[in-house]
Amino acid sequence: MRATRFAKVVSLILALPAATMAADNDGLTLPPGFSATVVQEGQGGGRHLAVAASGDIYLAGRDGLVAMRDKNGDGKVDESMKLGDVQGTEVRLFKNWLYVSDNVGVYRYPLKKGELAPTGPRQVVVAGFPMERQHADKTFALDPKGTLYVNVGAPSNSCQEKDRQEGSQGLNPCPILEKYGGVWVFDGNKTDQKATDGRRFATGMRNAVAIEWNPAQNALYSVIHGRDSIDTLFPTLYNAEDNATRQAEEFHQITDGGNYGWPYTFFDTKLNKRVVAPEYGGDSKKLSEAGKYPDPLVAFPAHWAPNDLEFYQGKNFPAKYQDGAFIAFHGSWNRAPEPQAGYKVVFQPMKDGKPSGTYEVFADGFAGEMADNNPRNAKYRPVGLAVGPDGSLYVADSQKGRVWRIRYGK
Amino acid sequence: MSRKRSLALLGAVAVVGCALGGETPPADAPQEKPDAAVDSRPAGQRLYARHCLSCHQADGWGVPNMQPPIVGGTWVKGDPKALALFVMTGGFDSAQRKEGATSHNVMPPFRQLSDEDLAGILTYIRAKFGGGASAVAPAEVAEARATLPPT
Repeated sequence: MRATRFAKVVSLILALPAATMAADNDGLTLPPGFSATVVQEGQGGGRHLAVAASGDIYLAGRDGLVAMRDKNGDGKVDESMKLGDVQGTEVRLFKNWLYVSDNVGVYRYPLKKGELAPTGPRQVVVAGFPMERQHADKTFALDPKGTLYVNVGAPSNSCQEKDRQEGSQGLNPCPILEKYGGVWVFDGNKTDQKATDGRRFATGMRNAVAIEWNPAQNALYSVIHGRDSIDTLFPTLYNAEDNATRQAEEFHQITDGGNYGWPYTFFDTKLNKRVVAPEYGGDSKKLSEAGKYPDPLVAFPAHWAPNDLEFYQGKNFPAKYQDGAFIAFHGSWNRAPEPQAGYKVVFQPMKDGKPSGTYEVFADGFAGEMADNNPRNAKYRPVGLAVGPDGSLYVADSQKGRVWRIRYGK
Repeated sequence: MSRKRSLALLGAVAVVGCALGGETPPADAPQEKPDAAVDSRPAGQRLYARHCLSCHQADGWGVPNMQPPIVGGTWVKGDPKALALFVMTGGFDSAQRKEGATSHNVMPPFRQLSDEDLAGILTYIRAKFGGGASAVAPAEVAEARATLPPT
């Protein structure tokens, strides 16, 4: 009796903040008709996430993977557990497997029906990527056949002879591109592959954290992190405002054999043209050779840090969202001293695999006031996206590991 | 041309004229592209903004995972000559201190800066991020520089 009464009180206390949050969308701003609820309060910094057909949520993070389940259907997680020993960014569900990655490899766990945490042993899909500090997260996408596309980011800002040193020239050709700065493909159905067994699928990509298979087009897409520091490295050519605004975060369809121009060029949003990078003879105006590298489908603002991409095919959102792209922008650090920017989820309408109209801010208000213009003071930073079985969009945060579920209508 | 526009043009010519009337640098010296506003900050703060701020941020706290904080570290408030060497050789990314480098991005060496400029930056960060640690004199930077192997 006492126990029951106690349980009731507890559930009332728990229900109260949940109801408050639903009313104000936990401080997030959304388009009319959408609402956000907190499904998980956070267990350390989150990265990407995946939602199973059962509704179970898998959140990758630097502290490891967390598996979460809403057992009573109230929209909040009430069972969660850490699993495995892989600390990294990517997590995906494919057939009956849970795929994860860290900085040096891709792994998978068998996932039995009804099982929240896999009980089977971890298998190595690919191992042996070199240990690097910069742009090391091995995010990946899988196509319906199980082809595995791994982002191997460049451990460099712009392939200077001396990384991030003022005036240092670019290495030509850039030797980093032999092993990094592109997408390598593997057979995702095979185990125990070595990093060197992969085939280079595309190159000239500084760091393609946001990488996704577009099922409507049967094609690979990415939003690539653009370069940093044109002003401090080349102060005679660029000032702080130029650095904060000109180097696009580039959205591309990634094709077999494609080359997207890093480190030799970047897409300048002020000129709306691809320019030669200052390390490679650029003078802030000199255009890249016409047709050598593709222009982006969309040039997003500098330093917003696109960290996840998701094509929407769910049933819950209105028709205009079908096959469109949601992008989670983690937010800038390299815009300082200018105000930091990004920290939002953006929607890019798409038609036949091409942008259809301009992008719109979908969810904002994550960062809060962000004291001292320092990203460390952001309240939340969106970093991962996934669509649930009912068509809800799930968003993960890297500051505290909070997870929101965004729905349309009741 | 409207009267308003021609007045504006005249004004622009006058401003350029004034600017050229001052000290003219040699034509072949590349000039830094100026920021929009005239910078009246003290030299140390201005140099910090120019060389350090984009990574370590205005508040000196760096960016989690990306660049380490200056605030709270032992280097900033320690021996001025050791600090000068630390900055001139690339902080935790200098060959001697690799094990301390845990952030994603590398710090370049700042040996190209003059004794005076480095002293200004170090004095500024010690006052602001080093709990008011003592100022650094250009002579101390020069002394530290003398212990470095030739480039």
